[in-house]
Amino acid sequence: MTTTITADVFQDLKGVGCPMNLVKTKVAFSKMKSGQVLGLILDNGPPINNVPRSVIREGHEILSQEQLDDGTWSVLIRKA
Amino acid sequence: MIDFTEEQLERYSRHILLDDVGVDGQEKLLQAKVLIVGAGGLGCPAALYLAAAGVGTIGIIDSDIVEISNLQRQIAHFTKDINVSKVDSAAEKMQAINPDITVKTYKDYLCAENITKIIEGYDFVLDGTDNFPTKFLVNDACVFLGIPFSHGGILRFNGQTMTVIPGQTACYRCSFRTPPPPDAVPSCAQAGVLGAIAGMLGTIQAAEALKYITGVGELLTNGLLTFDARTMAFRKINLKRQVKCPLCGDNPSITRLVDAEQSVCELKTDPVAA
Amino acid sequence: MQITVNGEANELNEAEINLAKLLDIRQVESPEMVAVQLNGEFVEMKNYTSTYLKTGDDVEFLYFMGGGSR
Repeated sequence: MTTTITADVFQDLKGVGCPMNLVKTKVAFSKMKSGQVLGLILDNGPPINNVPRSVIREGHEILSQEQLDDGTWSVLIRKA
Repeated sequence: MIDFTEEQLERYSRHILLDDVGVDGQEKLLQAKVLIVGAGGLGCPAALYLAAAGVGTIGIIDSDIVEISNLQRQIAHFTKDINVSKVDSAAEKMQAINPDITVKTYKDYLCAENITKIIEGYDFVLDGTDNFPTKFLVNDACVFLGIPFSHGGILRFNGQTMTVIPGQTACYRCSFRTPPPPDAVPSCAQAGVLGAIAGMLGTIQAAEALKYITGVGELLTNGLLTFDARTMAFRKINLKRQVKCPLCGDNPSITRLVDAEQSVCELKTDPVAA
Repeated sequence: MQITVNGEANELNEAEINLAKLLDIRQVESPEMVAVQLNGEFVEMKNYTSTYLKTGDDVEFLYFMGGGSR
């Protein structure tokens, strides 16, 4: 599957554990406009299990999430 | 917008994670100015929590020095601080918890003459005084200047607190009107107080200050929260602005700040009250 | 007569009772340290004896609480 949407803001959160990965995600959102897209790289395990769930709860929309060859995840989120 | 440092992001992460506080709320806290009146049982826990929360400027006023009898409940003061000024002792602990913030100390006793100059410019005032003349003075000055504040009191096993938004919600005088006669008032020194309830009440007041600054939830206005630690029963007594309030009512008789000791003396010569 | 005092229902035997007497019955040690609210309205101390209660009244004794600093 190819992703045609590109991120307006990108954050590589590889190696950033919970909950600091969510804190940094929220800080990134705070500097973005509604409708803009945030691209994240999240570790496998708790980060990919928790961060998307939390951003959905705050009303943002997950556009895609796919696992990369190194096991980390690429996630695209549209800001509410 | 503040650019948070990595250290600030970690320090305030548990606030930023809260949906209702978030990045914006933490910014508001860092830009806020809160004055704590009294560095005692209520002021100490409030000061520590407000410092920890990153309230950017915290003023603290008290003219006393630390005594050994304070240490049972005034949690910012340590044994090494005996004979040190309370505000210096509290400021040291606040800065130790959070070097990010500015602490302004006032080694002074609030009176009608100096209160306006001291509290002007603060966003919120937290009353943790031990005496009624000052409690009424804080109420009056905050109402005149339109500064929201938290009233707090403790005695034996009981505590009470209310938040006042001047001009909008019941003030302390709406419900308590005038200070009680000085000879009727038991102080902590005479009546005793369970140490931990100072923490219970002071932290409720601190939470109200944080709520006011961040705009989270509903404040403890038009209601007096009381508790009795012997049963741990909490009650919220509904209060309302009184049209006959001498301060914020329709025909106020109090139009300037006076030290309440004076008005108590006046009361004694008043044939009705005598 | 049924009234509410500090949030609790109270059955009073007295047919007529004023606030001064209620403070006495409730064993309020020092009435100067209490502010009285009747049905949400502040009552001045000088009016305690002239303020008679009726069924359904809601009385709150608000205790003056200082404490804190010293």
